[in-house]
Amino acid sequence: MALLEIDGLSKSFGGVTAIADLRFEVPKGQVYSVIGPNGAGKTTLFNMLSGIYRPDEGSIRFQEREITGLQPHKVAAMGLSRTFQNLQMFFNMSVLDNVMVGCHLRTRSGLFRAALRLPGIVREEREANRLAREELTFCDLERFVDLEAGALPYGVLKRLEIARALAVGPQLLLMDEPAAGLNDTETAEMQRLIRRICERGITVLLVEHDMGLVMRVSDRILVLDYGSRLAEGTPSEIQNDRRVIEAYLGGEVQYAV
Amino acid sequence: MKRLRGLFLLALLVVVLPILFPDNYYVTVVAVSAALHAILAVGLNLLMGYAGLISLGHAAFFGVGAYTSAIITTRFDLNPWLAMAAGILLTGCIAFIMARPILRLKGHYLAMATLGLGMIVQIVLVQAEGLTGGPDGLGGIPPLSLFGWEVDSDLRWYMVMSTVMLLVVWLALNLIDSRSGRALRALHGSEVAAEMMGIDTTATKTGVFVIAAISASLAGSLFAHQQAFISPDSFSFFFSIELVTMVVLGGMASTFGAVFGAFVLTFLPELLVVFEDYEVMIFGAILMLMMIFLPQGLFVGLQGLLRRLLQQRAPARLPAPAEEDKHGAA
Repeated sequence: MALLEIDGLSKSFGGVTAIADLRFEVPKGQVYSVIGPNGAGKTTLFNMLSGIYRPDEGSIRFQEREITGLQPHKVAAMGLSRTFQNLQMFFNMSVLDNVMVGCHLRTRSGLFRAALRLPGIVREEREANRLAREELTFCDLERFVDLEAGALPYGVLKRLEIARALAVGPQLLLMDEPAAGLNDTETAEMQRLIRRICERGITVLLVEHDMGLVMRVSDRILVLDYGSRLAEGTPSEIQNDRRVIEAYLGGEVQYAV
Repeated sequence: MKRLRGLFLLALLVVVLPILFPDNYYVTVVAVSAALHAILAVGLNLLMGYAGLISLGHAAFFGVGAYTSAIITTRFDLNPWLAMAAGILLTGCIAFIMARPILRLKGHYLAMATLGLGMIVQIVLVQAEGLTGGPDGLGGIPPLSLFGWEVDSDLRWYMVMSTVMLLVVWLALNLIDSRSGRALRALHGSEVAAEMMGIDTTATKTGVFVIAAISASLAGSLFAHQQAFISPDSFSFFFSIELVTMVVLGGMASTFGAVFGAFVLTFLPELLVVFEDYEVMIFGAILMLMMIFLPQGLFVGLQGLLRRLLQQRAPARLPAPAEEDKHGAA
């Protein structure tokens, strides 16, 4: 059964079509990648899936429930989390606090209860702290726990965004260009991290420009061109697809899987 | 109790000051208004410093609280505590209703909208003469009393005002160091990421706006009973600006910074009186110099300076950055 079902999805901005009548399904427990040239509509797609944009038409079903047009925090509550292409860190907070914000949905005290520090708050804080540290360790960030987010180098921040998104406890994780700006060592590490996330049973929907990474890490790939589906299949199918090679990969590029 | 160390220090100061300097004008008079300002600044700091939402009309909520207390106690002869609760309820409702349309705005636009809100309230206070006494103000506001203990001397007001200040600081510290507090700070850091972490940003903004308004209303009620007479002048645009200055001067996103800012901005003009005609000029120059040399704010800046000095003595061990991180720095 597909975890995410997209049907007839369309979005345009002032007459410019970003996504046109798009249909695809993301199977549970896989790494599913969306590729395509700049402007193909990948980030627009992510923004619709996560509730930031409202689609003009079409439906998004997640875990067999309609989530089209829901606000982002409601989408998050249903188990969909994401990272951002341009970092959206909370730079005014510590590394630990950043990830503890991710635990927001797993704890429930409100403004007034917190202000009076009623019983239960301390235990809840400890629980959030533990969860956050677990995710930091999972992303190999435990040595940065007490630092301010603003003090971290770019490559580490990329992983911190992932730790924060994992703290939400998602079923589906949308990753928007996690390897952008990373060097080869860091990219290899990112690849391992993506596979480890998938092994935890979290389905990953990936947008990435690094073709090598996409081909190595993905179970299935969707190729977008001008907001519509050009091809879909396994990495080897995509690499041998004539339309994809002509339109996107450039005819002669071959990748070892 | 590392978390509340600062609060205990502040409480100690509050207790020791009147013992060391009994009947001192600066302690029993100036410190009382400083404590009042601190209550206002701590509330505003939750909104401005932590959630990153500016308000140039905070004096409006202060005014609504003060006038509700004044009107209810003088016109209807009701208990001051009941009046205070009514003020809080009324201000909370106004803030709740205004929050949605106003907090959709950001940056300069939000500043303009809150500025407008502040001006509307002041105009109402001046124009609704039948209710508020108009520009002449309202007098004869009875003092507070607590189980027969009349708050009628400067020292007693010192006790009440500083107790409420400590209470408000405690509440603010609790709030910031919690799930909701993190939600506030996250909102400031990145609204879209905060939403994606499951934070209902609209509800969070509304909540903090109401809390800031309520604390201002509480301060307003105390102010009305302490002064026994109030007029619209105390709730003008200029007072809103003064409150913003306290928060910024002390250091944004620091509760003790807000308290510190309130104390500095209350004491400084009193101390500069000796310069007579040049008082305001020197005051302005000091503010400018502070912001140039300690842009993170007085309290936060000095704290950082102190920490650096201590670190030079005993260099703290920083986590060793791994190989890949050095390459990763972009």
